[in-house]
Amino acid sequence: MMPVFELLRDDDKARTGNQILSRPGRILLVVGILGLAAAGPIAGSIQPFWVNLLVRMLAFALLALSLDFVFGYAGLLSFGHAAMYGAGGYTAALLVGQVTPNALVVLPASVLVGVVVAALIGWLSVRARGIYFAMLTLAFAQLLYVVVFTDLPATVAGVETVTGGDNGLYGIGSYELAGIGFGDPLAYYFLTLALVALSLAGLIRLANSPFGRVVQGIRENEERIEFIGYDVQRYKVIAFAISGGFAGLAGGLYVPFQSVANPGLLHWTVSGELVVMVLLGGMGTLWGPMVGAGLVVFLEDRLGGVASWEVILGTLFVLVVIFAPRGIAGALISLRDDPSGAVDNVKQALKNYVREVRD
Amino acid sequence: MARRPMRNSSNHERDRHGNSGDSDRSTMSRRKYLHTGAAVGTAAAIGGCLGGSGEGGGGLTVGYALPFTGTYAMLGESIVNGFEMYLEQNGGEIDGREVETVQRDTEADTNRGVDVTRELLIEEQADVIVGPVSSAVAIAIMDTIESEASAIWLNANAGDYRVTQEGCLDYHFRTSFNDWQTSAPLAEWVYENVADNVCLAYADYAFGQNSKNFFGEAFEEAGGEIVAEVGAPLGTDDYSTYLGQIESSGADAVFSFFAGSDAVGYVSAFADYGLNEEMTQTGSGFLLSEDTLPAQGEAALGMYSLLHYTPAQESERNQTFVENYRGAYDSTANVYACQGYDSAQAFAAAVEETGSAEPDELSGALSGMEIDSPRGSFRFNEQTHEAIQNMYVREVVESDGEQPVENQVVETIESVEGPTWDCDLS
Amino acid sequence: MIESIVRATLLGVQSGMILALIAAGLTLIFGMLDVINFAHGALYMLGAYFGSVIAVELGSFWLALLLAPLLVGVVGIAIEVFSLRPLYGRNPLYHILLTFGFAIMIQGAVVQIWGGQARQIAQPALLTGTLSLGVVDYPVYRLFVLAISTALIGGVWLAIDRSNLGIIMRASAHDTEMVDALGIDVSKVFTGVFVLGAVLAGLAGVLLGASRSVNPGMGMGIIIEAFVIVVIGGLGSFRGAVFSALLIGLVTSYGALIAPTLTDLALFGLMAIVLMVKPNGLFGATEAA
Repeated sequence: MMPVFELLRDDDKARTGNQILSRPGRILLVVGILGLAAAGPIAGSIQPFWVNLLVRMLAFALLALSLDFVFGYAGLLSFGHAAMYGAGGYTAALLVGQVTPNALVVLPASVLVGVVVAALIGWLSVRARGIYFAMLTLAFAQLLYVVVFTDLPATVAGVETVTGGDNGLYGIGSYELAGIGFGDPLAYYFLTLALVALSLAGLIRLANSPFGRVVQGIRENEERIEFIGYDVQRYKVIAFAISGGFAGLAGGLYVPFQSVANPGLLHWTVSGELVVMVLLGGMGTLWGPMVGAGLVVFLEDRLGGVASWEVILGTLFVLVVIFAPRGIAGALISLRDDPSGAVDNVKQALKNYVREVRD
Repeated sequence: MARRPMRNSSNHERDRHGNSGDSDRSTMSRRKYLHTGAAVGTAAAIGGCLGGSGEGGGGLTVGYALPFTGTYAMLGESIVNGFEMYLEQNGGEIDGREVETVQRDTEADTNRGVDVTRELLIEEQADVIVGPVSSAVAIAIMDTIESEASAIWLNANAGDYRVTQEGCLDYHFRTSFNDWQTSAPLAEWVYENVADNVCLAYADYAFGQNSKNFFGEAFEEAGGEIVAEVGAPLGTDDYSTYLGQIESSGADAVFSFFAGSDAVGYVSAFADYGLNEEMTQTGSGFLLSEDTLPAQGEAALGMYSLLHYTPAQESERNQTFVENYRGAYDSTANVYACQGYDSAQAFAAAVEETGSAEPDELSGALSGMEIDSPRGSFRFNEQTHEAIQNMYVREVVESDGEQPVENQVVETIESVEGPTWDCDLS
Repeated sequence: MIESIVRATLLGVQSGMILALIAAGLTLIFGMLDVINFAHGALYMLGAYFGSVIAVELGSFWLALLLAPLLVGVVGIAIEVFSLRPLYGRNPLYHILLTFGFAIMIQGAVVQIWGGQARQIAQPALLTGTLSLGVVDYPVYRLFVLAISTALIGGVWLAIDRSNLGIIMRASAHDTEMVDALGIDVSKVFTGVFVLGAVLAGLAGVLLGASRSVNPGMGMGIIIEAFVIVVIGGLGSFRGAVFSALLIGLVTSYGALIAPTLTDLALFGLMAIVLMVKPNGLFGATEAA
């Protein structure tokens, strides 16, 4: 295990500097992605359904990644990411159903719609700060939810149905690309994995670019960045729009795989659970929230029917907030920094907790 | 993950978490019905592998795709109870084959519904899917059922007619009802026995709109007049405003579709405002069914509704069913339990007739098959695979049982068939 | 038509006052503790469930109205002491996340314990029937709810405005160290405020549980509405919460008359417009500071 922790150590150094992943960290990432590429066929040969589970884990990992870019990295708590996710999903549903199943047309459209919706919400919301910003994003996302649920576009356009109202759109086929169909879950898995890997690489690059540094600077000290002469609001809107594009892509990948798009995709509880996933994974690390999302989807799938999933998720979450606010990524990093001190750390955390409760 | 929120009401749901009633549920989620004595040896010898059966020996796998948590938990559990009661009565086997049941929680959410259906079909190799409860889930899983094409689908509660109209699937059989059956046949009865003018009140979502439309068309056809239509959003908290509109419509009767907690809120507000003294409340059976009546209580007295099953039905077949159910689960049977029980009867009869678990063969056997149900015997329509069954007009009356009120059958409408919606599977 | 308008107005004011009970707790907790309490809806739901159990077991609505909110208060103490207290001083974001966790957990537990079907609290015999108000007949129970919630809101308002308690509470919000130096235990004040909010939410739950249905979705359903109210009024402003609760109550009930499906749209649209014009809410700038 030691070499892995060594690599993570470099990653941590990068975090304190301006870089989000160092070279060894990236190598680890490539290894991870190759590992996932191998995992698909292996899992599929043991139990075909596991491929299905993996695809869903990847789609949510992408969604969590998109949120972490604005929330963990740029410091904007969005409680409305379901809006872009759902918008991307419905775009894919409508295009695949009525225009073309070509992934090269549909997926960019999902991204584009995600960007546009996010730019609009961001533009209207960035003047508000902190909790007010969160509430505004929530409000706009809920607005969109109501629009989809009541099928307002159909009423306005005078046609019978656009969003399918409360039942949503169903029977959506899978993608095609250059004559290859993605109806087979394994093929779909590779498509998803490739896009998720590209997205992660793109966002890491962006985070390390001058743009990324300004955004990070806004999180650390907004006034200072503004004083230097940057247009803070504009940077925020752009960061939000970029994040929205990736959320749209996640929706575009999820919906045709499920063959249905329903208003539930846009509901605020999706945004809420997404924030849970990001925090659980460790916000601001980009890779942590992806792990968190994958884990939550996996646990829900495996525990969903057996036990009271909500009680488990809620309890887990409360414990993480109190005892491990830096999430899985934070725990891994401190374990790597000081493997022998793990037990002491836990003791210390418990002691602190008891002291503060008594205080 | 992307689930719908748990709202106060019917179709929705982000519904979860099991009813406490059945404490051994988690252990039951994978239960095998073992043969006794020598039979155990035989089964072991025939099949080491369960599920995925198909021809000949081996076990049978039943996959429940139902909500076990949330607003609909009680419905899901009742369906399972009904199904398993049949299995217990038959020594846990069908056609000499051991039956394993696997239950998965749809949470009444469309995406979870798709996930668990795929899981049951692919990972658990289910031979039959029993469920779902929510129509949105039923519509969402049509595609999966069709593309996997590996199991028969016994629809034990989701009544949206579009499963037949748009799906029209060979593997789909409705062991429950459709939304036409629970609304339209009531129209003529209301016209003849209650009033020649009505106000329509409905939960404003697909199922509510369908029910309202079906009733409205049939009522006008019978010669009646629709005075007003009042739609309330799904999950409305307070019905005061809508009741005001219903009252000022001046109608002599009102036909409503509300279900679950909406039905509770609506019916009790109806009584609060004293509307039950001014007009007669009628509705689809889910307005006043066993999952809402305990909460509605005396507010529901004197209201009429239409459903295909009522626990207080006086036939001998039903009395036995209700007694057995009480013996097994210590509670009163309900429409959902009956639908579960009939799903088991249908599955067993088809397997016994064909000696197979291949969906194509089962479908052939089920088409046109007659089921001796506690609700009165019914038959699967060859064209649509809908149940052709009796519908019962019930009135809520005082009861000396465990609940203060219960439904009593006041009229039987026999062999209700319904439209085919251009679906022809025969 | 007049009937409908009168009825909608009565309903709007009545549900506005109930919403004010919930929003008041939410805004006080934020004002003092700097905590956005996502679990507030869950506490309201617990009030309704505790109430329905007590009403059945002890056979009295009045005992339910008295005891259930106190039980919710106990839950409130547990949440504040064991989970919020160790987090004071951290980024307020963590409070949102923590209480969101509680909201999910409590909702899950409620279904686990009481099942998913809707329940109801029986109205006391004294308050059944309708009362003629000239133009319309209105249920006595709803008038009772209107009266008692108005009285409660008035009481809390007076308590905050006039009493020592109010002064200490307001002082703690502005300068904890000062209050500490005066020998007042700030952490007790914090616990007290959280419990007050929980009890008010619990009361609202019992009151509504007898005229609406009691179901596991009611908490998540009302919390967003309550947030909208608090944000429009200005986070931390008691006056703002009461004012915008009435506003939202009326918008919702008139909306139901005109375009029921678009009511939610109006709600969120209103909030978005208010925030874009006044980013700190209607009363936020002056009072929340």
